[in-house]
Amino acid sequence: MFSSIPDVIERFARRHYICNRNIATVVYLASRLQKPILVEGPAGVGKTELAKVLAGALDRELIRLQCYEGLDESKALYEWEYAKQLLYTQILKDKIGEVIAGAPSLKEAVERVAAQDDVFFSERFIVPRPLLRAITAPAPVVLLIDEIDKADTEFEAFLLEVLSDFQVSVPELGTIKAKHVPLVVLTSNNAREMSDALKRRCLHLYIDFPDPEQERAIILLKVPGVAERLAREVAEVVQAIRKLDLKKAPSISETLDWTRALTLLNLDTLDAGLVDDTFSAILKYEGDIRKAQAEIKEHVAKARAAALAAPAGAPDANVRH
Amino acid sequence: MDETVIGFVGLLRRNGVRVSIAESMDTFHALDLVGLGTRAAVKDTLRATLVKRGADLPAYDRLFDLYFSGIGEIVKDAESRSRAALDLDPAEYQELIEALARFLEEQGIELSELARALLRQDSARLERLLRDAAKQAGVQRIERPFQEGQFAQGMQEALGVGGAARELQLIGDALGAGDPDPRRQRLSRFVERRLQELQEMIRRLIRGELEQRDLGQRDAARVQQLAEKSFYYLSEDEIRRMKEAVAKLAQRLKNVLAVKRRSARRGKFDVKDTLRKNLQYGGVPFKIRFDRRKRVKPQIVVLCDVSDSVRNVSRFMLQLVYSLQDLYSKVRSFIFVSDIGEITKLFEEHEIHQAIDQAIRGNVINVYAHSDFGRAFRTFHREHLAAITRHTTVIVLGDARNNYNLPHEWALREIKQRAKQLIWLNPESRMTWGFGDSEMDRYQPYCDVVEECRNLNQLYRVVDRIVVG
Ligand SMILES: Nc1ncnc2c1ncn2[C@@H]1O[C@H](COP(=O)(O)OP(=O)(O)OP(=O)(O)O)[C@@H](O)[C@H]1O
Ligand SMILES: [Mg+2]
Repeated sequence: MFSSIPDVIERFARRHYICNRNIATVVYLASRLQKPILVEGPAGVGKTELAKVLAGALDRELIRLQCYEGLDESKALYEWEYAKQLLYTQILKDKIGEVIAGAPSLKEAVERVAAQDDVFFSERFIVPRPLLRAITAPAPVVLLIDEIDKADTEFEAFLLEVLSDFQVSVPELGTIKAKHVPLVVLTSNNAREMSDALKRRCLHLYIDFPDPEQERAIILLKVPGVAERLAREVAEVVQAIRKLDLKKAPSISETLDWTRALTLLNLDTLDAGLVDDTFSAILKYEGDIRKAQAEIKEHVAKARAAALAAPAGAPDANVRH
Repeated sequence: MDETVIGFVGLLRRNGVRVSIAESMDTFHALDLVGLGTRAAVKDTLRATLVKRGADLPAYDRLFDLYFSGIGEIVKDAESRSRAALDLDPAEYQELIEALARFLEEQGIELSELARALLRQDSARLERLLRDAAKQAGVQRIERPFQEGQFAQGMQEALGVGGAARELQLIGDALGAGDPDPRRQRLSRFVERRLQELQEMIRRLIRGELEQRDLGQRDAARVQQLAEKSFYYLSEDEIRRMKEAVAKLAQRLKNVLAVKRRSARRGKFDVKDTLRKNLQYGGVPFKIRFDRRKRVKPQIVVLCDVSDSVRNVSRFMLQLVYSLQDLYSKVRSFIFVSDIGEITKLFEEHEIHQAIDQAIRGNVINVYAHSDFGRAFRTFHREHLAAITRHTTVIVLGDARNNYNLPHEWALREIKQRAKQLIWLNPESRMTWGFGDSEMDRYQPYCDVVEECRNLNQLYRVVDRIVVG
């Protein structure tokens, strides 16, 4: 359990996750109030990562349910292990024969088998899916329900039931209640609005793109061997690029990919020729790349002018040799 | 604090942020945990518990700043203005305040609470005094700008500004107005300044209160206006609202499926039935029938008219198309005048304004031709009929003004026969359908739904009606 908001910040930092006070406040509250967090925000701002780091920081198991269109209860909650059931009926064929031996009619035979069905529909034959696993786990877990906006509205309604009282009913087995209430993180990319009912049960966290200071810190943490100067320049340029009118703005993952590519090329500044070849790491559309190129040129020119204006100091070390 | 929070929740609600009782309870619990230590922490806490839609965040930020920081900020601003007026840095300013305090002590001058808070720059006390006075004067009841003076007077009385002014006057005299000593002069300028700032603080507090009222009214008016607007360059907000409408529309189209599947939710497994079904395999239960219907994705094909006769609403219609495509995977979009061309990829790869510009500017098809719905439908029938399956909803956006060309309604009929349903949204007023070169009457029999639709409000209405139909 977290002892305070700064404690969250610190434990997350130890796991290489830079979080601002707002994120830390929501995480702290969620852990204390035992409420799910609904995390929204653009792609790649660290929504999924937040849940992973949270599990690590609390030293809990992370159970992940990835949502998609058409996801249903059998994939989310449990499924009967049919092959195993079949195998058992085959092995126990003789035994079943005994049970139905001497039955006067087919109907009677069927009745007798039916009377035994709880043998086959017991916990032995159930395949627990993430939700059931989270509920039955012997120690508290972090349950990540990723990209809930991809699931259908009916699934959302079903989830709502589960999140309200953390119990599920398996018709053949009865009601199963959680031993420990899991800490739930739901993420959404806003493909659609979640229902008000779901939102009411959650604390809401909107993660936006980080500010340049934070982004620089993330780069330094996540890209080994990156030059200080490059990290700063990339963070600044990416911020500027995000302000352009783009089809898809670069996310943190793309910032990281780009910086890795640049670092592999041994660059420690954007003021170098090879930069043009690395754009595909950060932008996916031709039109976007063209717009961003202009922005980067301008940025580099400005930086260069500033460097010239500054008193001449150490020799220029643009490219490592 | 409780009352303050409840007041703030009311303010949020008046500004269209939905907050339930349960959520305000959460807020209290959360504030217990986080404490009222810093403004930022309170702001984060209220946001997490009260504001659940990303779209409401800007409004929340504005309202929070208006409501909470109000007085604190006003007091702080007044301090920095006083300091700037005397041209002092913070340390010098502090010295000045202490020098004045010493002077008052030497002179044996006793001050009222208000005068002392002003002259000692006691921000916390000032804040409290102002807050109490505002309450006493009923400032939160202000409705109109012309009432500012009346409430200012009320606050002055509640605060006892008159008395404080006389006290400060006396101090000024004691400091010797004409004294040539520059230090003395500075002190008396400070005293004078603080009195002015007190009036300014009152004025700003009342103005802030008025702005909170205003914000609500302004926003409501803007939303209304926005919804009636037929053609325009689209603002962020319009795009967001369009997305919401389209999401609703798509839900309606989908719900038909959803209802069916919900009734087929998995119940208790029936051994008897399974055995019966498997008798043919010698009693080995070979087939087990969990009722999991195959999922049918929503499939939408949109045909959008971009001819000159609809140019005023083209952006609106294309924005609708863009949002549909943006939100759902299986959407194919076409534009037509006389030729018909696919824009699915164009819309996928470009940002909304650009995409729409390119579509309208004639990069895809000739947009300067005369409308020919018949030809467009026939071409679609010949080249793209395979795109339509029995799961497809076809949406036609257009005015059916055919320039007296052949309407070829058979093509539309066959499209409709293959599809699940056909919806036609016509931007023209229903009263003009069928007159002049409008072929709407001829096409109508082949549509499941025909609606008038040229702006967001109408779109919302259409969506509501589709659920009934
Ligand atoms: N605050 C942060 N500190 C450190 N790393 C971060 C931070 N935010 C994001 N990252 C990194 O950015 C990458 C993308 O994060 P993640 O996959 O969690 O994003 P997401 O919001 O879930 O995206 P999507 O919506 O696409 O699923 C990860 O590699 C993650 O490590
Ligand atoms: Mg993710």
